Amino acid sequence: MTDLFQYVPGNSPLHRMNPVTKIALTLSVCVAAFLTDNLFVLLALILFDLMIGVAAGAFRKALAIFRGLFKVSLFLFVLQALFVRRGNRLLWIVTDEGLSTAAGVVLRLLAVCLPLALVLTVTRVSDIAGALVQVLHVPYAYAFTLTTAIRFIPQFMEEMSGIMEAQTARGVEFDTKNIFKKLGLILPLCVPLLISSIRRTGATATAAEVRGFNLRTRASGYKKYGFGLVDLAAVLISAALITGAALIP
Amino acid sequence: MIRAENVSYSYPGNAQTVAGLSFHIEKGEFAAILGENGAGKTTTVKLIDGLLKPTEGKMTVNGLDTAKSRVSERAAQVGFLFQNPDRQICRNTVREEIAFGLRAVWGRREEDKIRTRTDELLERFGFTGDEDPFALSRGQRQQVALASTLAPSPAVLILDEPTTGLDYRECTRIMDFIRQLNEEEGTTVVMVCHDMEVVLDYARRALVMAGGRLLADGPVREIFRDEALMKKASLLPPQIIRIAGELGEGFREADDAETLSSLVAAKAERRRGA
Repeated sequence: MTDLFQYVPGNSPLHRMNPVTKIALTLSVCVAAFLTDNLFVLLALILFDLMIGVAAGAFRKALAIFRGLFKVSLFLFVLQALFVRRGNRLLWIVTDEGLSTAAGVVLRLLAVCLPLALVLTVTRVSDIAGALVQVLHVPYAYAFTLTTAIRFIPQFMEEMSGIMEAQTARGVEFDTKNIFKKLGLILPLCVPLLISSIRRTGATATAAEVRGFNLRTRASGYKKYGFGLVDLAAVLISAALITGAALIP
Repeated sequence: MIRAENVSYSYPGNAQTVAGLSFHIEKGEFAAILGENGAGKTTTVKLIDGLLKPTEGKMTVNGLDTAKSRVSERAAQVGFLFQNPDRQICRNTVREEIAFGLRAVWGRREEDKIRTRTDELLERFGFTGDEDPFALSRGQRQQVALASTLAPSPAVLILDEPTTGLDYRECTRIMDFIRQLNEEEGTTVVMVCHDMEVVLDYARRALVMAGGRLLADGPVREIFRDEALMKKASLLPPQIIRIAGELGEGFREADDAETLSSLVAAKAERRRGA
């Protein structure tokens, strides 16, 4: 699970694309997903996400992310189906409108999360920061904060798994099959996770400071992030996605 | 006590991390698992504790198959001290921290027993009980983690690089305590350690690993004297054994000397004889 957000080296058009274009393409998928209520358009967007995965040579990873989201989606689907009471009753308290709303929420979640995870598969976090600073003129401190947050995700997951392992070894029943009992046991773990996070943040801040963090300006990055034909194609696809989602009823 | 029968393990999506491990550790032994980074030492101790289940073979501790029983159920019998105490500590005072593990193992109905045992450990480790564990030094936090691990009096104690990041005094304090447990209470100790001096001083048996396989298993000093084995496992023997080896015949036999000065005396004696 921890490697889901990690960069996979490659030379696909998606790898070569400007990081800003990749972010724009990702955001356009998100915008399109929120503009439409049409389930078929949402399905088409998910298909488009999987095609991006194929084009990036990371189809298996896209499927792994898909599988990871499936359980959450299932839980959300059940909740939505039970709580939306509008429409015609089909079974017990489940209505047709409840089912379509639930399907919409779940498909939208999948359509939005997949490209966000995939963009990290085809882009180095340092390139995201570099391009944000150079192309979009984002202050380096903000770009650094964003990329550090992304970089910390797998580390936190690893830390959490280490903490759970340590607590299981001392008798805390994290190896129980009772999901509710497990959820109740997670609370005490927040303390070591919080402490280690604060310590890590402090150490990262010191490391950045001693390497001249405050001296960095927009001109400091040596790598240039240009735009090519592949970027133009991506911009056109982004525009088509948003227009299509807005126009298709 | 601990029996590994042709145990192999692969992390999901990876090649085999450990393969064909077979060994038997008797009650009351003090064994060290040695090897370079990536040799499979931590995987092996996690297999012993049951945090990892063998993909092939069988691991039994106290007759219990680790693949068929839950780690949390065996926590009273097997204690595991991790390299990083901060993953273990989760309460606001040292007293609460020690009691937390005991409650997990003995249950909340045993409050009197838990209080007595906590007081006993606080006195033994020299804590008042009101200290904030997160405000203590690294060595003291490791002692808190050790006290919590030892609280249910486990018959087997697994230590994963217990002395990492500790100064000499802290390291000696923790290791002396573990030796005392091993010698006086018969606790079986299995330790992963990169500090060969600590291994020589405290362990009696060494299991040498490389590339996920067990290369050798025997008394510590004999293992360290085997230069070919040390080279194969990319290990550097303790200084006293290396110096004795360099000095050659007559000195190798004296490598059980506690200090360098006794070796130097032996060297001077030899020169006089020549």
